Amino acid sequence: MIIEFTCNGEMKRADVPADMRAIDLIRDVLGLTGTKEGCGRGECGACTILLDGKPVSSCLLYAPKLNGRKVQTIEGITEKDGKLSPIQEAFIEEGAVQCGFCTPGMILSSKALLEKNPYPSDEEIEEAISGNICRCTGYTKIIKAIKSVSDKMDMGN
Amino acid sequence: MVKKSFTKIGIAVKKIDGVELVTGKAKFTADMKFPNMLYGYACRANVAAGRIKKIDYSTALAIPGVVTILLAKDIPGPNIIGILPPFDQPLLASEEIRYEGESIALIIAKTKAVAKSAAAKIIIEIDPWNPILRVDEASKEGVRKIHPQGNVIFSKKLIKGDVKKGFEEAEVIVENTYHTGFQEHAYLEPEAVCAVPMANGRITIYASCQSPFHLRTHISANLNVPASRVEVIQAYTGGSFGGKDDVAAEIGSLASIAAVKLGKPVMIAHEREESIIGSNLRHASRIHYKTGAKKDGTIVAREIEILLDGGAYASESPFVVMKALIHAAGPYNIPHVFVKSTAVYTNKTYCGACRGFGVPQVTFASESQVDELAAALKIDPLELRYKNGLRHGDATATGQVFNQSVGLIETINKIKEKKKHSHPTEELNNSRWLYGTGFSCMLQGISNGAEGIDVVGASVQMSQDGSVLIGVGLTDMGQGSRTVFAQIVAEVLGITIDKVTVKQVDTDSVHDSGPTVASRGTTVGGMAVFKAAQEVKKSLVKMASLMFKSEEDQIILKDNFVFLKNNNLAKIPTKEVASAAYWTGFPIMDLAFSKAPEANYNHETHQGDIYIAYNFGTHMMNIRVDRYTGKVEVLQHIAAHDVGKVINLLGIEGQVEGGSLFGFGLAHMEKVIFQEGKIINANFADYAVPTVKDRIPTETILVEDYNPTGPFGAKGIGEPPVAGAAAAFANAVADATGVRFRKLPITREDILMAITN
Amino acid sequence: MRYLFPITIKEALEYVSSEKDSKFIAGGTDLINQISDGFITSQMLIDLSQIEKLKKIERTEEEFKIGAAVTLEDIASSKFLPQCLIQGAKSIGSPQIRNLGTIGGNICNASPCGDILTPIIVLGGKLVLISSYGKREISAEDFFIGPKKTIITGNEILTEIVFKKLFLSERNSSFRKIGKRNGQTISQVNVAIWVKKRGKDNEVEDIRVAVGSVAPIPLRLEKVEIFLKGRTIDQEILKDAMKVIDEQIKPISDVRASENYRRMVIGSLFQDAFKEIYK
Repeated sequence: MIIEFTCNGEMKRADVPADMRAIDLIRDVLGLTGTKEGCGRGECGACTILLDGKPVSSCLLYAPKLNGRKVQTIEGITEKDGKLSPIQEAFIEEGAVQCGFCTPGMILSSKALLEKNPYPSDEEIEEAISGNICRCTGYTKIIKAIKSVSDKMDMGN
Repeated sequence: MVKKSFTKIGIAVKKIDGVELVTGKAKFTADMKFPNMLYGYACRANVAAGRIKKIDYSTALAIPGVVTILLAKDIPGPNIIGILPPFDQPLLASEEIRYEGESIALIIAKTKAVAKSAAAKIIIEIDPWNPILRVDEASKEGVRKIHPQGNVIFSKKLIKGDVKKGFEEAEVIVENTYHTGFQEHAYLEPEAVCAVPMANGRITIYASCQSPFHLRTHISANLNVPASRVEVIQAYTGGSFGGKDDVAAEIGSLASIAAVKLGKPVMIAHEREESIIGSNLRHASRIHYKTGAKKDGTIVAREIEILLDGGAYASESPFVVMKALIHAAGPYNIPHVFVKSTAVYTNKTYCGACRGFGVPQVTFASESQVDELAAALKIDPLELRYKNGLRHGDATATGQVFNQSVGLIETINKIKEKKKHSHPTEELNNSRWLYGTGFSCMLQGISNGAEGIDVVGASVQMSQDGSVLIGVGLTDMGQGSRTVFAQIVAEVLGITIDKVTVKQVDTDSVHDSGPTVASRGTTVGGMAVFKAAQEVKKSLVKMASLMFKSEEDQIILKDNFVFLKNNNLAKIPTKEVASAAYWTGFPIMDLAFSKAPEANYNHETHQGDIYIAYNFGTHMMNIRVDRYTGKVEVLQHIAAHDVGKVINLLGIEGQVEGGSLFGFGLAHMEKVIFQEGKIINANFADYAVPTVKDRIPTETILVEDYNPTGPFGAKGIGEPPVAGAAAAFANAVADATGVRFRKLPITREDILMAITN
Repeated sequence: MRYLFPITIKEALEYVSSEKDSKFIAGGTDLINQISDGFITSQMLIDLSQIEKLKKIERTEEEFKIGAAVTLEDIASSKFLPQCLIQGAKSIGSPQIRNLGTIGGNICNASPCGDILTPIIVLGGKLVLISSYGKREISAEDFFIGPKKTIITGNEILTEIVFKKLFLSERNSSFRKIGKRNGQTISQVNVAIWVKKRGKDNEVEDIRVAVGSVAPIPLRLEKVEIFLKGRTIDQEILKDAMKVIDEQIKPISDVRASENYRRMVIGSLFQDAFKEIYK
């Protein structure tokens, strides 16, 4: 089945079986391996992508659902010239990355939150990343990182 | 100890591998693709115990896309994995099934989906036996032997002084039995390996792993080729916590065998359910404690019996038995200690290394009983710990005396200060919430100690442009060791961290360094890196002294320049010195080998010098419990640890925060549930790993009591917080509810049931 | 396998009648796992999420209606829907799940733990089922007949859930749930209540109560409603109501919770829900 969609701002076209999971289309066909498979059941958030700006678990979508939609993966978060976006910088700065496996999904969920709500409360931050499991950090520094981006925006930086 | 000022250590440093991780560019094993790559998927046993009568894979083999199917008979080598004697675990079961989920056949196919569907078509006839599921059953006379040598995996004793005499002197005695459940590591990245055969007869295995050298040993043995033909490269690893040792050897060996047989790369990447069922768990335990003390609170005797459920195969049970044995008495100065520690086989998923390695289990039990003793003595629980806590010059439970780096009392003092300002509890008890505070004190031996040879290899290579490449035999699984190694080298060589690159761990490049376990990365790994850097520094200093025409002791290395001690204007860029050193014939690369002092002890009584250092910690946890639902809110959690010397502040805090939540999960939320030997919650919905909404507000306090065996005085921190947090939680719940829970996890359900009745 | 995107209900019905082994999919968050686990196979998936009519939330003079393909996240972030519906939707899974999962999908999946099901029942939701033979309306509480079993037939589409305006204007509803952990958790027990208050003492003029995860289906507790109707709520009355609840529910012990815990904790959820309505 032919699927056409925008991925990280670029038109993509793929001819894949209708029951190919979106995660496999992204990783194996498009070669964008930043999106990770942690559980295959939508229970860990490692496979989070943004679909029309909203975080979804790409292991729970079949490829046809991407047709005509806008997809953003972690590879699309880095700016064109290789410069890191503020949220990526913040994750490194605050020590919010340890093994890095949850990080792409975590960053995408954070980005979706900050775009919708640039000054989120602690509770709103928690809710936004409640579907992203991290086993390494204990979450404290992840929340700090998200807050720091919000604080910088607040100060007009 | 002369206070030296450091520029690259003791501060918060950004992770040097952060960029590739936040951009998604870092390749984890399952991200790799090689031409003609095939996929492996295991067919697993669906009974917990029995004899394999027949395997018929003809239907499976005929499925289009299936390339080959491996059975035990197809393994060129001995079909064994095991880190220690008895080396009792097969890659593929051939005669006997010992746990539900054990691998019997490996299907290699063009896609993973095909391999998986073929696995379902393999017909295996098993003559089932009644599985032995409980430790008491396993220990009974005349019961079926799970392994030929019997159902005891390993048993050891620790004898210090004379406990009988000790209890006679005691004026108060408390005695109880405690239990802990099975915990799953639940790293986000399931296990994965990719074996790539090379044209020159070598084979390269990329692996998500913790112990690449163990992997190489296993692969070469099972492939029946010399180890020098096998190269293991650790790919970026998404967490391990002790769980990727045995299983990496299993799938690494299988993938290699298939790859060599077919002449093509073979990838095996586990699904989450396979990861939970088919890789090791943390041992469940039953621990009996008896503690005797004088009325004034002096603990005079402790007698402890530990029984660990080791599951179907030995894995690292012998080491966990020993570590539990050595730590059971707690961080206290006790003259008479007797410990017996045993692990037995059962027909369940095998148990092995898991962050803390026996220490969380005994610490929970030990610290629960210390609180119970405090209550019996009517002494404040923190005061009781302060009174008995180990100090410089005291003998540990193994009779080892440390004159340096025993920072326990300082951690207790830090907690005491915090306690003064923390939430008052009694006044707030209202109709809904029950408030409570719990403390724990703990110790965790750093590095291998009595578990065996403790060596690490490292390489430091400076190039003529002044940049440095580091190689180490120990792995970064997220804990930040790459960054620590970079900091150490940068500090020694006086260069900035951006000039340092740490290469992937590669068994070709450095001396066999054993496993990255026991919180030994910074300590023993750091020492190896430190030594190698010192050698390179020698060449730079020699060269610079020639260039400056000065004495060597006048040379200072700082900020990518070489200076003269008393003359800031006399400076040469480090790269020029490096280049000159090369052209003059001074080596600017060193391969170092760091060997920790050997453990020296009596194997019958475990008395002697066992560890190079201990990390000490004191935790305080303030909670409130909802008496109507059993929900627990952690209001405050303070973890004070003696780390010897802080290398990377950000990294250490990350380990304390993450390790504490790991321990909190063990104590409150996580439980692997077996039903007739089958794990029935092998997924992330029913195995409750903490989400962000379940996190605890850990505040880290670091104490530095210089450790002479670590670089710049540092000690490890990866494991200690697990035990501290778990034990503090249990004590907090007891304080809040008035009910003493002697079993982990203490779930909200357990709490509600207990306080309602 | 074929994957189709009908843009009208009529087209969807044509597809489903053209292929026996076909299944409707909306968000897919339950269905995809069931397919991966091998419980369901299908030659044709008919994706309803592009049918505009199914994605609307509408208010009329008499009613408010939620299209079956409205996502749980859209319900959770609504500014005007009844509180228990918002709370139920918000408590499901995670943002990733809620951005895909739909109210219709949650209903047709019919898990006894379904967190949006008990709110729909207490709000008197009527499910509109359309087939090529016509339309029928079923009360939500009559829709479920067992765990994952409903009265929907293979050729029917659940198109919308219709509520009487009353349940929107009398905004006294609340939903509570408890799971093993705080985040991303499946209900061990859930409770939904809707109350119409009367008079100065806010006595109960009308009430609807439904509970989840304590019976094979999400269960309306009519006996409890009868007990509470006309009463002024106080601690004693609630305590007695809990006894009636205990008689009505049939919880089991499973991998998520024991029967005893479910019985013990349901009273507290019930009281919390009342407290929110009566605060």
